[in-house]
Amino acid sequence: MTPARITVVAHGVGGSTDLPVPLSYALIGAVWALVITFAVVAVAWQTPRFDPAKPGRALPGWVTNSVDSPAIRWLIAATAAAFAVWVGAGAIWGPQDSDNALPGVFYVLLWVGLVAASIVFGPVWRVISPMRTLHRLFGLRRSERPASRTYPSRWGYWPGAVGLFAFVWLELASPDPGSLMAIKIWILVYAVVMLSGAAIYGSTWFARADPFEVYSVTASRLAPFRRNRASGQIVVGNPLDHLPTMPVRPGVVAVMAVLLGSTAFDSFSAAPTFRTFVDDNAPAVPLVGDTLGGTLLRSVALLVFVVVVGVTFSVAARATSGVQPEQRRELPGRLAHCLIPIVVGYVFAHYLSYLVERGQETAVRLADPFGLGWHLLGLDSGDVVYLLSLNPTLLWTIKVACVVVGHVIGVVAAHDQALRVLPPGHQLTGQLAMMLTMVAYTLTGLYLLFGG
Amino acid sequence: MTFESKIRSTAGILLVTGVVSAALPSCGSTTPPAPTQQSASSESATAAPTTSQPETSPQTVIDITIADGTVTPTNAQAQAVAGRPIVLEVSSDETDELHVHSVPEHSFDVAAQPDQRFEFTVEVPGRVDVELHDLHRTVVTIEVAP
Repeated sequence: MTPARITVVAHGVGGSTDLPVPLSYALIGAVWALVITFAVVAVAWQTPRFDPAKPGRALPGWVTNSVDSPAIRWLIAATAAAFAVWVGAGAIWGPQDSDNALPGVFYVLLWVGLVAASIVFGPVWRVISPMRTLHRLFGLRRSERPASRTYPSRWGYWPGAVGLFAFVWLELASPDPGSLMAIKIWILVYAVVMLSGAAIYGSTWFARADPFEVYSVTASRLAPFRRNRASGQIVVGNPLDHLPTMPVRPGVVAVMAVLLGSTAFDSFSAAPTFRTFVDDNAPAVPLVGDTLGGTLLRSVALLVFVVVVGVTFSVAARATSGVQPEQRRELPGRLAHCLIPIVVGYVFAHYLSYLVERGQETAVRLADPFGLGWHLLGLDSGDVVYLLSLNPTLLWTIKVACVVVGHVIGVVAAHDQALRVLPPGHQLTGQLAMMLTMVAYTLTGLYLLFGG
Repeated sequence: MTFESKIRSTAGILLVTGVVSAALPSCGSTTPPAPTQQSASSESATAAPTTSQPETSPQTVIDITIADGTVTPTNAQAQAVAGRPIVLEVSSDETDELHVHSVPEHSFDVAAQPDQRFEFTVEVPGRVDVELHDLHRTVVTIEVAP
């Protein structure tokens, strides 16, 4: 039925997208966001409250022991690797059309599911990453040869930010996001870059350059579980105490900017105005054809969204008086973690129905990876429940709630961090620009959900 | 009307902060999209010989013309209701394929002839893109309400 060239528009996984949020929902969300923001700035606490050094409530010893047990870690890693092999086999020998599970695994389970898992359990990608598993296997054979070079600390998270951009580019700007060939090439390049980088710089490479690990670690700062810094015990505690543990490294703002900017661009690029703009102007792009011209225009627009988020955030973070120039330069990094809740809230507002509904469809396809009519575990496409799509009012409420709650947590974290990093006497004025920027992000996000 | 002015001031804030960079979609309208784009949206049942009771089952009819390598309309908007028929009336001078990105997806072969009629229903609400495959254009986005 489907010819060799497959075109699937919506995020490479096909199907419909969410109905736009009605104006009244978006407005109520915006009002709540504004009121709470100014309440926090004006009347909230005047000494820092959140501290990563707080002990938290310790979980029983066996929890820490099992999480740290090499046998259990190997078992989980092996399961994840087997799953990757299963998906890979289906991608190669399965149906080469939209019935293949690969796009769903790649764009839905990996990109959105990883965030959900990281928020609940912590930085899980470190344990399940098939690349880390492969690297460890190589390492065993070579009897733990030390890395030949140390990772340059000035690179920070920049390689990870580039990798994240490469992912969102494939999903949102490339000529055909649903093309199995494009996804396979992307994964191949990813695997080569990960393994060769790790061969040079050791496993630090994964922590800084693997886009999924950087994403997972970023989202995990909102997890209720963390380690007591003194004892190493796993404790449960306030995520706001956990949030400031996001490592401040070069490129950390870029990571946030890619995640937030790309999600906003995803909404924006679905608007008929933008699509018409691309259709009308693609032939005018010099030197390349229609399709590549459109890709180029979308890529530039995506980059503009990312850069605008990065620049507005950095400028707002620095906009305070009473600090030395070198302190001022450090401010964007020291405030970067405050963007995590906003990013995560917006990602869920945007992709929750995808995770739940396309996730189920993907599971059904995974139960029949070769198109042979299998129903492993009894999964059948008739079983997929479209609860969120069938109840738009529920979905709209959840979406707006995600954006507003993310915003509020971000503002609370930013206020607290401002009390810590800004000099006394400048703490109120120094955070105003940041609060206004966050409000602008949230209103833009709600506006894009409303759909213009 | 206060809602109207509020959303306009919101859009003003967005423009000032520069977060929305270019080509802001038209805003401030709470009414359903008027059939501005070549009357893509029409909830009339005039061209419905199959339905005997047009009042109880309104259907969405979308006229699509493919001529000289271009399709009319493109990037249009239309409204529909889940479970009610959606009709694509196509006149074309070349063969192509229409993809309906609904759940589940539909695909129709377009022949090089006038007055073709493709009817389908969408059961899961959402925004459904109708895409012309070979010309690589989104023809219309249908908002399917529950």
